[in-house]
Amino acid sequence: MKKNRLDKAYPYLFILPFFLIFIAFNLFPILYSFAISLTKWDGVNPSVFVGLENYIRLFTADPLFYQSILNTVILIAVAIPLQLAMGLLMAVLLKDFFSKSRGFFQFVNYTPNITTPVAVGLVFAILFDTRIGTVNRILMALGITGDYIDWLGQPVPAMAVVILLLVWKYFGYIMVMFLAGLSGIPDELYEAASIDGAGWWKRFTHITIPMLKNTFVFLVTTSLISGLQLFAEPQLLFSRGGGGVVGGPGRSCLTVIWHMYDTAFKRFEFGYGAAIAYGLFLIILVLSSGSIKNIVKEED
Amino acid sequence: MIKRFSLSKALVWAVVILISLVTLFPFYVMIIMSTYVSEDIMVSLQLFPGNYLLENLKTVFATDFLRFYWNSTYVAVIATLGGVLVSSMAGFAFAKYRFKGRKVLFGIVLATLMIPSQLGLVGLVMQLKGMKLMNTHFALIVPPMANAFYVFWMTQYMKGSVPTEILESARIDGCNDFRAFFRIVFPIIRPATITVFLLSFLGSWNNYLTPLVVLNKEKLYTIPMAITLFSTTYRNDYAASILALTLATLPIIVIFAFGSKYLIQGMVAGSVKG
Repeated sequence: MKKNRLDKAYPYLFILPFFLIFIAFNLFPILYSFAISLTKWDGVNPSVFVGLENYIRLFTADPLFYQSILNTVILIAVAIPLQLAMGLLMAVLLKDFFSKSRGFFQFVNYTPNITTPVAVGLVFAILFDTRIGTVNRILMALGITGDYIDWLGQPVPAMAVVILLLVWKYFGYIMVMFLAGLSGIPDELYEAASIDGAGWWKRFTHITIPMLKNTFVFLVTTSLISGLQLFAEPQLLFSRGGGGVVGGPGRSCLTVIWHMYDTAFKRFEFGYGAAIAYGLFLIILVLSSGSIKNIVKEED
Repeated sequence: MIKRFSLSKALVWAVVILISLVTLFPFYVMIIMSTYVSEDIMVSLQLFPGNYLLENLKTVFATDFLRFYWNSTYVAVIATLGGVLVSSMAGFAFAKYRFKGRKVLFGIVLATLMIPSQLGLVGLVMQLKGMKLMNTHFALIVPPMANAFYVFWMTQYMKGSVPTEILESARIDGCNDFRAFFRIVFPIIRPATITVFLLSFLGSWNNYLTPLVVLNKEKLYTIPMAITLFSTTYRNDYAASILALTLATLPIIVIFAFGSKYLIQGMVAGSVKG
């Protein structure tokens, strides 16, 4: 009988390490953050409980919070359709026209996605540097522009560079996901359509696109969530020239996480910084509630 | 007919190769710039390798770069081994046992997938301060071991690949469940452990925000912190700081070249429904 009781304990012993670390260093900090978000605290003097004051300030009196959301939304609203289109194009071309070298092109185009974000930000800063940047030099050598373009010093070009960076970084990941989705479409569908006389374009719009619906939904959701957490790349992109301008030119590239980092860890307003993180979490929760339902349904 | 076909095929190749070249361009520029004297980069456009690579290597390795490399490596290895162990054990329990609270606990794991990692950052820093663990590598090693996605992925994998009878037959042979897990199950789930290993190593190596807020002693810096240091402190030696970037990304690309199959499998599995 004693043995039986031990058998019952096994699953709990197996999940124990995960839940111990999870509770101590993931869940606790999250709850602690919420408690801190209800205070005014500089980390040195005792914290003062202020109730919902930080949240009222966040939603009614912080233009930077709204600007950071708006910036992030603009950046990803332009970048996501572009990276979806390019990823889909590459996936379809690789599936239909490449078999031997598919793996190679997949590897090449996926590489930006795994490259250290800090390095990506710094390399793009080098590429788009006004005086010594490769991009300006090539454009001038080709006679496309006669003068140096100040890419990182003006709001609109700066945002364009961030968008380009995002598309460069993510389209390979999207390509991989679409390739996986494409491999799930039965060949018979295409064969039947060909027999009925449907050309490549018609098969693409009538079979491929509808069959990839789930992949689309997943990719849009995850791109939104990861896009809203954007921080390292823009921060490093603008770190080189301007001596630490927060948010890039005119704060046009200030993202929500950057705003949080600057508030909590540069200006030591820990209570308000924690409130910014919760504000972002609320937004992500609304955006992703649909997907959570899907995954939970899947589980049962 | 044949001619038209080959023309469209040439067009397709051109598009794919052009896009791939644009993808590789930043890497190319980075590597080329690493082989020049800084002044040459400042003066004109360089598109072919120079001959100053060795000198730049000397400059980089004359700094604490090896120490930063070591910091990143040992942090990533321990965090990753721990993460693989913790998540495969939890995944095994969720996939192969029926126990009270299983549904609720797994629900918690799923809910955690939707929580941005930055949510608890302020709390974590204050907690570490209280525990006197600021300016240690603790926050880079232990908290990432409990990763909900890895548990989710291990659970899904083991549901499909580990036969349920394994435990029963092992018990009949007088083998306890832990032994059975490490001796029998662990070898079966090798592809899943490789995926988790790669994802976790990548996550640890590339992590920037946590070391940024936890470490302010230079000798503790990991690679992402180190290269930001290089690009500000040593900014007068442009070429050397670019070489540091190249060296920082190299291990990741090499590891990925060997493990891309498993990594891509892992990324695809994350989409739940392909």
